[in-house]
Amino acid sequence: MNISIILEHFYLVFMSVLFSVVVGLPLGVLAYLNQTLQKIVLWVVEILQTIPALALLGLIMIIFGAGKLTVIIGLVLYSLLPIVHNTFIGLENVDSGIKEAGKGMGLTKYDRLISVEIPLAFPMIFTGIRIATVTTIGVAVFATSVGGGGLGSIINQGIRTQNMELIIFGTLALMIMAIFFDMLMIWVNGRLVKRSSN
Amino acid sequence: MIRFENVRKKYGDTVILDNLSFNIEPGEFVVLIGPSGCGKTTTLKSINRLITPDQGKIFIDGQDISEVNPVKLRRKIGYVIQQIGLFPNMTIEQNIGIVPKRLKYSKSKIKEITRELMEMVDMSFEDYAHKYPSELSGGQQQRIGVLRALAASPPIVLMDEPFGALDPLTRSTLQDEIVKLHKKLKKTIVFVTHDMNEALDLADKIIFMEKGEIVQMATPDEMLAHPASALIRDFMRKSSSSADSSDLTAADFMKTKFFSVYKKRSIRECTDLMARQHIDSLLIKNDDNTYAGIVTIRAIKKHGKSSGSIGDITPHVNITSNISENAKESFDKLYATDDNYVVVLEDDNTIAGIITKTGMATAMADTLWGDMQ
Repeated sequence: MNISIILEHFYLVFMSVLFSVVVGLPLGVLAYLNQTLQKIVLWVVEILQTIPALALLGLIMIIFGAGKLTVIIGLVLYSLLPIVHNTFIGLENVDSGIKEAGKGMGLTKYDRLISVEIPLAFPMIFTGIRIATVTTIGVAVFATSVGGGGLGSIINQGIRTQNMELIIFGTLALMIMAIFFDMLMIWVNGRLVKRSSN
Repeated sequence: MIRFENVRKKYGDTVILDNLSFNIEPGEFVVLIGPSGCGKTTTLKSINRLITPDQGKIFIDGQDISEVNPVKLRRKIGYVIQQIGLFPNMTIEQNIGIVPKRLKYSKSKIKEITRELMEMVDMSFEDYAHKYPSELSGGQQQRIGVLRALAASPPIVLMDEPFGALDPLTRSTLQDEIVKLHKKLKKTIVFVTHDMNEALDLADKIIFMEKGEIVQMATPDEMLAHPASALIRDFMRKSSSSADSSDLTAADFMKTKFFSVYKKRSIRECTDLMARQHIDSLLIKNDDNTYAGIVTIRAIKKHGKSSGSIGDITPHVNITSNISENAKESFDKLYATDDNYVVVLEDDNTIAGIITKTGMATAMADTLWGDMQ
């Protein structure tokens, strides 16, 4: 029963980060390519982050009803900031000499983006995804309040019944999960950029 | 042939290119030179449309380049920049193959080209092709930068201060290599630099620019013999080994970093300063900033007391030179004196600088073998 709750929590986090990447990466690229949209995109994701997570989930529940869909939508919106932001910054910070060389040799804007800029911005983008993952593991605790389950329900139950063991179990599971993913992703990143890093 | 016709460019109110017209013949090695802000880089970058002129037209082989798709245009023009700009996420082979791959050359053809080009600069394909740029030295990276620009055999290659960031030794090796490549491949090369030595060594023709205009367009020999303006002469003198040394003055060789104190400074402060700066003498100034003489550490020791002001010690009047004096006279004075330096004075007797024995040696080396920096 406890294992299935951990898996449920993991499922929520995984789906949220996945969709956050699917939405956030293009938004970050868009912000980089288009000066006008840049301000709007960065502003919106920042505003989203300032809404308290519980309130955000509550608002979404009014529209989509209680359940996992609401949780995932909420968590996606909440984890957009680090992904969009890091994608944008990573692309902006690619060495100007490299960008100019690419342009001067006749690579198109999209070719430069795909062949050079995104690969070079990747460590930064990946860091954004890592931050989003670790944050989401914590924020997903609120899922239980809108009928999404996960480790939040164990902690909630522990609080209601004043069961210290349950609270500690839920908290420890969350912490271990967060630390594990953090370290795993740092390791993966290190492997991916090992050779070409400058 | 590259032809500029009345090309103008402004940024805000600043005129960058002022009605520029000139031709570059096929196969010519043309060097654009001039003080910073003269428009040389803007001129270069308007050839591959990285910069669009406000007015005027640029033609390549009779075709107005503003009517050519910029991506297609750039793939036919090699481009080398000072920051090198190799793609760090790609191997050397992939970097060199960038443009050929986009022009749909076959894989085996790209490999063949890469191998051939690398052999031309004595870099073995087996050793380097699969390395990443970060595994190469700066000089090797820029060699690859040049090869990358040549890979799709473009008839024109643009180079924007390509060797500016390299150490002098590597720079001169690459200069030799580029001359060799130019002789062999007969490309039209347009090369931007601010180093007159480089221009004189490499160019078939030098275009000297100032404030967006061409001041002189001539072969190196012509420019050496008949520089069209004082600024060009100045550029030549600063960097050319064949500059006439008879009109050099004391001002050209003096060190402007020296330590001077007013007479009222305490002796203790002065000895501290000397210890900190590792010097054994100080220049002494009168209150009106005129030169009073020098005080050596030996004179201070002889004086005995560390209290009182430095003015209490009678300064030794070192031999002096006037700032506009011929350098040779200053050197003669330096030879004749037992002191380690000659003090150079302005016309109003304030201190302008000092000429030291090491300074003199460096200056003579520069005059003989060119600017060592």
